[in-house]
Amino acid sequence: MKLMIKFVFSVLGIVLVSGFPVLIGGLVAGELRLTEYIGALEAVLRGLWPLQEFTVLNMRTNREIPLFPTIGEYIIYSLELLFLAFAVAIFFAITFTVLTMLLKEKARQRIKMALYFLESLPDLLVIMLAQLAVIAIYLQTNVLISKIAVVQGDHIYWLPVLCLALLPMIQLYRLCMLTFRDEERKMYIELARSLGFSKVFVIWVHMFRNAIISVFFQSKKTIWFMLSNLFVLELMFNIPGIMLFMKDNISPEVFLVSIFSFFLPIFLLYSIGEWLVLRHLRGKEAI
Amino acid sequence: MWKQPYFLVGFAILSFFLGGSFLYEWLWGNVPRQIFFVTENGRTVEGPPISPKWNFPLGTDQYGYDLLGKLMIGGKYTILAALAIAALRMLIAVPLGYMMATYLQRQRAWIGGLADSLHYIPLTLFAAYILYPVLWMPLGGFTNTIWERIAIQVVLMALLTMPIVAVLIGNEAALLYRQEYVTAARVLGAGEPRIIRKHLYPQMREKLAVLYGQQVIETFIVLAHLSLLNLFLGGTKISYDPMFSDPPMSISFEWSGLFGSTFRYLQGSPWLPLFPVLFIALSILAVTLMLEGYLRSKDIQAPKKSSALAQDEAIVDWNREQLRSRMVLLKNAETPKNPHNL
Repeated sequence: MKLMIKFVFSVLGIVLVSGFPVLIGGLVAGELRLTEYIGALEAVLRGLWPLQEFTVLNMRTNREIPLFPTIGEYIIYSLELLFLAFAVAIFFAITFTVLTMLLKEKARQRIKMALYFLESLPDLLVIMLAQLAVIAIYLQTNVLISKIAVVQGDHIYWLPVLCLALLPMIQLYRLCMLTFRDEERKMYIELARSLGFSKVFVIWVHMFRNAIISVFFQSKKTIWFMLSNLFVLELMFNIPGIMLFMKDNISPEVFLVSIFSFFLPIFLLYSIGEWLVLRHLRGKEAI
Repeated sequence: MWKQPYFLVGFAILSFFLGGSFLYEWLWGNVPRQIFFVTENGRTVEGPPISPKWNFPLGTDQYGYDLLGKLMIGGKYTILAALAIAALRMLIAVPLGYMMATYLQRQRAWIGGLADSLHYIPLTLFAAYILYPVLWMPLGGFTNTIWERIAIQVVLMALLTMPIVAVLIGNEAALLYRQEYVTAARVLGAGEPRIIRKHLYPQMREKLAVLYGQQVIETFIVLAHLSLLNLFLGGTKISYDPMFSDPPMSISFEWSGLFGSTFRYLQGSPWLPLFPVLFIALSILAVTLMLEGYLRSKDIQAPKKSSALAQDEAIVDWNREQLRSRMVLLKNAETPKNPHNL
């Protein structure tokens, strides 16, 4: 029930946002265009209604193309990159967290500080340095480790995924470290240690299970951050994904469809996760 | 706060950029020096864009303007805009958040849902979608001045993620409302404004400061992203000449514009886009450093176990010592009692 309310209001919010340029245009001209705004919203929703027939004017070919079969390809490529990068980021973040948990307190502090400053790197710089590094390696050794731009119908994966995963990985790592450290202070860890279980075992089996839930709920922010990064990534690698599509054919309708194309999977992922966790916790002590 | 080395370093970097920017304009005007070719032994060696050399530490752009000069002139726009946007956002979000926690307790669920929808819209895209009608030069040229456009952009960008920040503050304040001392204050007759001013705000001051720093960082990044779409701070100059049209240009020399308009030169002359981004990265680092220094001076992080224990012991020791000295005093007071009483 609560999820339904959240879903309805999220959808409503996105629809409301899609009409904003009308309002802003009015604001710049110095008037409040509320009726035009509502009219624009109505027009967008009506225009979209038979989804199969909706067409966009493609800027490059100057031709009307139907939105629906075409957009699927873009969406899938973008989502592939996004979720691959998210998976990579989570995997490495957790691995590094477990590894650093095994270290002494002083070394931990040092690693934390170093990563803290790494986090302030802008994603643009990361992408540019990666591209320059690929070029430099190619010039030195004549080995092309990855393509740095997509040309016609080609899909590149590992370099974009790496660029996209790096900063979220650091963020998630920090998040993991915080929750793991909170968990470390609890009594059951001391009990398990005093019963003679090794540190690795306690971390992997006991702490991990409890900490991962809290990390999962907080990782929503990371996804948001990644969406913005994905946009820049697609621009800089010339990746034919949903963001580039949206940029090329910007209109309220395309905006709405594209936002929904990643809103639905992410919302589904988190709702299922929440449901599973809540079911798991039912009857036990609430967090 | 002013004794923390982290804070000082960060503050020094930011004030260097800002002060340097104003100083540069005051000393040499707002047009950087220009050079058309580099000669060596009477022969032309290099034309613009010139790679970094001793004379031109960061090289020049494709029209021969000194890049360091451009960056120094542009610094103030970018930094001040980022600070202003974040400040305005906090100024709107803090009262709203408190109001939400105080008066709209019931409605918090759906307001949260509405604000949550912003989480699914990539920030940059959202900003570009909304700012496009403001910043893109129409066919006939702009009808408003650059300062008007900057003001509109600052306000819009501040409003952009304001709901998210407001909901965050509201949730935090709602948590504080459950504290016992707030109930106690209310029982003693404190009204809502007084509770907010005297109880909620002091509790959240550090968190709000951190939030402000994070907003500044986020704004820097969004400004840089926007420039990839050729939307620059204060408007984009577009030449609609069908034959010899210049590429879209930034009107001021602000950093994100310097990056966005030269991004295509990454492979040929990498210093052109690289240095502006590096400057942005340095500013972000400066803000991060300041935040860390501030937090350390306030010591928001949970005190370490060992130090807390040590402190407890010290207090106990001191008490015992004091006890002993008190007893000694008593003793001393007791012994000379008799002469006084005489």
